[in-house]
Amino acid sequence: MSNDSFFNDDWLALQRKYWDNWTAMSQKAMGMTGTASPTTPWESALDHWWKAVSPAAPNVSKSFIDNMLEQGKVFFRLAETLSASSTDTNTNLGVTWWTQALEDMQKRFSGSLDENGNAAQRMMSFWEMPLDNWQRMMSSMSPIPGDMLRNVPHDHLKDHLHRALAAPGLGYTREEQGQYQDLMRCSLDYQAALQEYIGFYNQLNLKSIQRMAQRLQHISTSSDKPIDSARALYDEWVNCCEAVYANEVITPEYAKIHGHLVNAQMAMKKRMGIIVDENLGAMNMPTRSELRTVQDRLQETRRDNKQLRHRLHALEKQVAVLLGENTPALSTAIKTTVPVAKTPVRRKPAQPE
Amino acid sequence: MMMPINIRPDQLAQEMLDYSRKLGQSMENLLNAEAIDEGVSSKQVVYQEDKLKLYRYDTPEGVMPSATPLLIVYALVNRPYMTDIQEDRSTIKGLLATGQDVYLIDWGYPDQADRAITLDDYINGYIDSCVEHLREQLGVEKVNLLGICQGGAFSLMYTALHPEKVNNLVTMVTPVDFKTPDNLLSAWVQHVDIDLAVDTMGNIPGELLNWSFLTLKPYSLMGQKYVNMVDMLDDPAKVKNFLRMEKWIFDSPDQAGEAFRQFIKDFYQHNGFINGGVWLGQYEVDLKHITCPVLNIYALQDHLVPPDASKALNGRTSSNDYTELAFPGGHIGIYVSGKAQKEVTPAIGKWLNARP
Repeated sequence: MSNDSFFNDDWLALQRKYWDNWTAMSQKAMGMTGTASPTTPWESALDHWWKAVSPAAPNVSKSFIDNMLEQGKVFFRLAETLSASSTDTNTNLGVTWWTQALEDMQKRFSGSLDENGNAAQRMMSFWEMPLDNWQRMMSSMSPIPGDMLRNVPHDHLKDHLHRALAAPGLGYTREEQGQYQDLMRCSLDYQAALQEYIGFYNQLNLKSIQRMAQRLQHISTSSDKPIDSARALYDEWVNCCEAVYANEVITPEYAKIHGHLVNAQMAMKKRMGIIVDENLGAMNMPTRSELRTVQDRLQETRRDNKQLRHRLHALEKQVAVLLGENTPALSTAIKTTVPVAKTPVRRKPAQPE
Repeated sequence: MMMPINIRPDQLAQEMLDYSRKLGQSMENLLNAEAIDEGVSSKQVVYQEDKLKLYRYDTPEGVMPSATPLLIVYALVNRPYMTDIQEDRSTIKGLLATGQDVYLIDWGYPDQADRAITLDDYINGYIDSCVEHLREQLGVEKVNLLGICQGGAFSLMYTALHPEKVNNLVTMVTPVDFKTPDNLLSAWVQHVDIDLAVDTMGNIPGELLNWSFLTLKPYSLMGQKYVNMVDMLDDPAKVKNFLRMEKWIFDSPDQAGEAFRQFIKDFYQHNGFINGGVWLGQYEVDLKHITCPVLNIYALQDHLVPPDASKALNGRTSSNDYTELAFPGGHIGIYVSGKAQKEVTPAIGKWLNARP
């Protein structure tokens, strides 16, 4: 394809230049100031290329490539972050650097360190994956962007909003006001659930970093082989995160947080559905609840029809046997609509009307 | 004390360059990828009902098919072409090679019009219609059933309610005890208000299920997998196979609301095979009604259906011919790994052939 040369020539040349520069600089890095760090052409070049070719990319590959590019960036950010530590050939200083780097990451999760988009900061997107997955899933099911409520201030406004929403509706539109108040209450509850979910992940991320620090400490004081490649470091990172994640999400506390998040989202969506139905009804159009009633009745009718058809078919065969007609495999092909078990099957008692 | 991370700058630069080259090659291979087919073995539709299709797979030349058909009941989650994903990794082909006459139920993609379909409709309706079709067309008394994952749970229910129609039952990575301590999906769903979810959405979107599955191991499944891919996808021959798998993973049909409601409540929340109380229409499911031979296959590294969840079947049926087979792999590997082709499928064929 026409873009082949991009990867074969330009892109790799750019990469080589970048890493050559980076290598050269890293050799002189002792005492290098933060402002002298190299720029990151890799991400921007790749983004530019993908923007150009993605409209023509086959659908089957598109989302897969998206994921590969995104995770490739994360991997590169890790390598970029490494550059600072790798330049330090003094063992004690190296350990100190890593300790400091991990502490900085912990501060970022606790919100006490402001960054200006450096590699370590951008690398944080790695830990955003579970949250990002939730936002994407919600967006795919909703007309409202999944992250709409994520950063809305909650705690400061909560009490005022709840008080305002407790006021009864007035006048001719009081029922409609009440519905919107219900929706707002559900939105607030969802926002609280989302904050709780995000808070859980922030704690989880802190624990992951602590585990990584312990792992590095273990390597430095044991006979374990040092981590000798960016990929090995990335894999260690993933292993630490997965191990901590597995321990945390099996707990009853997480089950409650998870349940609250899903339930709050559903309650909000249900409220929206009620308002939509009200409006459809006002326009004399079929509502969703009416359609569901029809679906239920139709399915009941279809179920009955199928059973009657099967019974009729079985009776036809029995009649054919009685008449001595030629019916292949007849004796084995009679449909039994009632389960036949050696042990009597328990039948549901009749429900009182 | 030694440096825990010892990467020389020149080594790192070289590693990143290698990664860039492989990533570039992978991108090109992915962009040039052809359309992905769903299943590789030739088959015919032999029965249709609503969105359900019953397929019969063509018997290979030189193989005499068994007189008793083997009906594969796949899960409602994901699509059944995983059992026939590529030429050299196909459970279907393996079963055909052992002389099985293979039929497979494809449930299709439910939409909102299918919202009211219940577990009773799936099991006493659709599965029974397929079994009846086979009995009538082939003139046989009984069929062999092979249930996969949730389809295994369906097969257990069907066999418990219609024992006279099942000759042998094979369950693969099938949950029986839904509340083993290592069952993450079960732990997560305990506080979810399923009635609210189904009443709100009607059908349960496939995206919601994908989200659940991906969050079982988020850093591996959403991150590491794609970083590791560059080592494989610079080979054009492997691209198509990986895209097939990726397509399958995200090919998640929506779940018919009423069936989903009952399945999650009866099994994930109330552990119905263990505690009882599962009703399909007018009849209660009791695994003790299963008397036919049972082969129960589970995967030792299964993170979706932990081994103990499957092994709980032992002793819960009335079968006096119960066999277990443990596979050293995961929930998907049991179908698509090279090892599974050599170990699992031939073992199923041998077990069935010994019980005509």
